[in-house]
Amino acid sequence: MTVYESEEDFIPTSDDRSMPIAATLQDLLIVSLISVPLQLIATDLSLGSVLGGLLALYGLCAVGLVLTKYVPFYLPSVAWISLVGIALTLPFWPWFDWFTGVVDGIDFLALAVPPLAYAGLAISKLEIDVMRRSGWKILIVAVLVFVGTYVGSAAIADFMLSVTS
Amino acid sequence: MEAMKKLASLWPIHLIVLVTAIIAQLIGVRAIPIGIGTILLLPLLFAFVFALALNPNVIKPIASVLSTKRVAAASPLIVIAIMPFIAKFGTTIGPAIEQVIEAGPALLLQELGNLGTILIAFPVAIWVFRMGRESIGAVHSIAREPNIAIIADRYGLRSAEGTGVVGVYVMGTLFGTFIFAILASLLATAEVFSIEALAMACGVGSGSMMAACAGALAEANPGASDTITALSGASNLLTYATGMYVSLFIALPLVEKIYVKVRPDDPGNKRTANVEESAR
Repeated sequence: MTVYESEEDFIPTSDDRSMPIAATLQDLLIVSLISVPLQLIATDLSLGSVLGGLLALYGLCAVGLVLTKYVPFYLPSVAWISLVGIALTLPFWPWFDWFTGVVDGIDFLALAVPPLAYAGLAISKLEIDVMRRSGWKILIVAVLVFVGTYVGSAAIADFMLSVTS
Repeated sequence: MEAMKKLASLWPIHLIVLVTAIIAQLIGVRAIPIGIGTILLLPLLFAFVFALALNPNVIKPIASVLSTKRVAAASPLIVIAIMPFIAKFGTTIGPAIEQVIEAGPALLLQELGNLGTILIAFPVAIWVFRMGRESIGAVHSIAREPNIAIIADRYGLRSAEGTGVVGVYVMGTLFGTFIFAILASLLATAEVFSIEALAMACGVGSGSMMAACAGALAEANPGASDTITALSGASNLLTYATGMYVSLFIALPLVEKIYVKVRPDDPGNKRTANVEESAR
């Protein structure tokens, strides 16, 4: 568990392989249940379709977690989950139409709501202290860092797309 | 038994998330037109703000009903809560795999977009704010966890460089999703870059930054939603693989070199030169 008490705690120490799978799957189930009403608000899907879609995503996460733990080289769990999602929805699979049909209707923006709510609750005293100590100059520099990275990436991507296509 | 105990202690957290998330979702997407474009306020931003307002570390009086110790347990749940979202992104990349591979060169090279910080953030830190070596830590990257690890390893987090990277990290944690949502909605309506390029650039930061960014783009271009999620998801996946190396081998040495050039008399420069000497 990450409880930030000093700056050193910001350094990522534990890797995702140390996550206990059973406990993670239980938390994942609760998080998925929280998503049910959100999907019902965000989409026109029936309750059955929402449950089916979330169950499919739950399955992908579970496979990703197992791979994180047992594959001999390390990737973060979210990278494995992403790769499982990609691998199982490649167009040549016999289940392609069926599986993409199950997950297609799920609203991705609504899926991002619970993590941000947890993130808002998880802001620690240390983080508030660092923000106060750093002051508005670091805030402005941070904004420029984000703008610079985003616009820099978009500019390079735009240029590359125009020369390659 | 153990699991039941844990659930019992966590239920207030889950309940707050459930309620704030439902309210945020009911508010939905709000568009605020400003002179140069439209800013989109997304449910995820509302959820973050509501949760912050219930966080005893932010609003002190809350501590009498919800202890700071209890909310600390929300931290490991963030990554778990984002997993279904990441899985959903994966399922949009698979069907679009040909398009993603075609965009391969663009996807790979935009990872260097990071260097854009040297053009706009570094000069302001150095010449406007007269910052010292903090500026190296602050501008070398977008300051997510792997970048903190690099700075910690090289300079230590209690050094000037460490102060810089931790400052930007915390500002990113607090305001990153807002900055990305605003940037993406403005650029999506400004039509300077193609929507594909903007989608790829969404992947440069954390998962929640990507969500805010791709969400804003998709709201502005509902027809291109699948392309946007596929390209930003692919770019984010690539960032896990390459981000750390771009920062370690390209951005950090470059910022360090430029700093020593523009501030040759900073006594701190010697300290790192010595570190490099002894490393050899």
